Amino acid sequence: MLWKIFLLIWMCGVVVAAFLLPAPQSQLGEVSRIFFFHVPMAWVAVLSFLISFVFSILYLRKKEITYDVKASIASRLGLLFAILATISGSIFAKSTWGSFWNWDPRETSIFILLLIYGAYFALRSAVESEERKATLSSVYAILAFVTVPFLVFVVPRVYQSLHPTDSVINTKFHLQMPPPILATFLASLIGFTFLFIWMFKLECEINEISNKLTEE
Amino acid sequence: MSSNFVTMIVTLVIWIGVFFYLLRLDRKVKKLEKK
Repeated sequence: MLWKIFLLIWMCGVVVAAFLLPAPQSQLGEVSRIFFFHVPMAWVAVLSFLISFVFSILYLRKKEITYDVKASIASRLGLLFAILATISGSIFAKSTWGSFWNWDPRETSIFILLLIYGAYFALRSAVESEERKATLSSVYAILAFVTVPFLVFVVPRVYQSLHPTDSVINTKFHLQMPPPILATFLASLIGFTFLFIWMFKLECEINEISNKLTEE
Repeated sequence: MSSNFVTMIVTLVIWIGVFFYLLRLDRKVKKLEKK
């Protein structure tokens, strides 16, 4: 319980620092402060999809239904954070490029990613047999994750994009932020990661309880 | 009051709301687990 209160104070500190520090990219104006939230949300989405991938492999190896349930919870949270990252990104796009959606390579690739993980849940709801659902969705989650590095990291860098690509790491793979901005950014990454861990644990517990109740 | 400050307050209120919702949910789940 104590760490959850600490997380609340931590994230409030991040929010205050994000708005009191100078804007991370002064040429983009005040809206570049969204960077402190947008990038950690995208990071948590990728982390969730990775966890879903790992649990899907574990299910296919051990055939224990809990692994499939955890994979589906991780995918659900991943989809939630990916949607939040897309919304925050389009707010940034409106302010800097003049429209919420430009079909830029970055926007198109995240849209495809959202469709891929949306289809994962369509697949889960279409199959009734628990075992068949778990096997099919595990295979799908593994294949879906293969596209994640490609869609998130490769496509926007291969094609010319409006999206800033060197806001965290420059072309020489060096962190290029002033120390206070870097510290706030890292604190936000840590905060969002712990928020994800909390939400993941909570969803697992809720699922366990509802399973017990349906058994009774 | 600058717009930056207003945005900060709104963001803080949203964060605190989300955290209290999660804390309440967490407490309810713990109670159900004990039952």
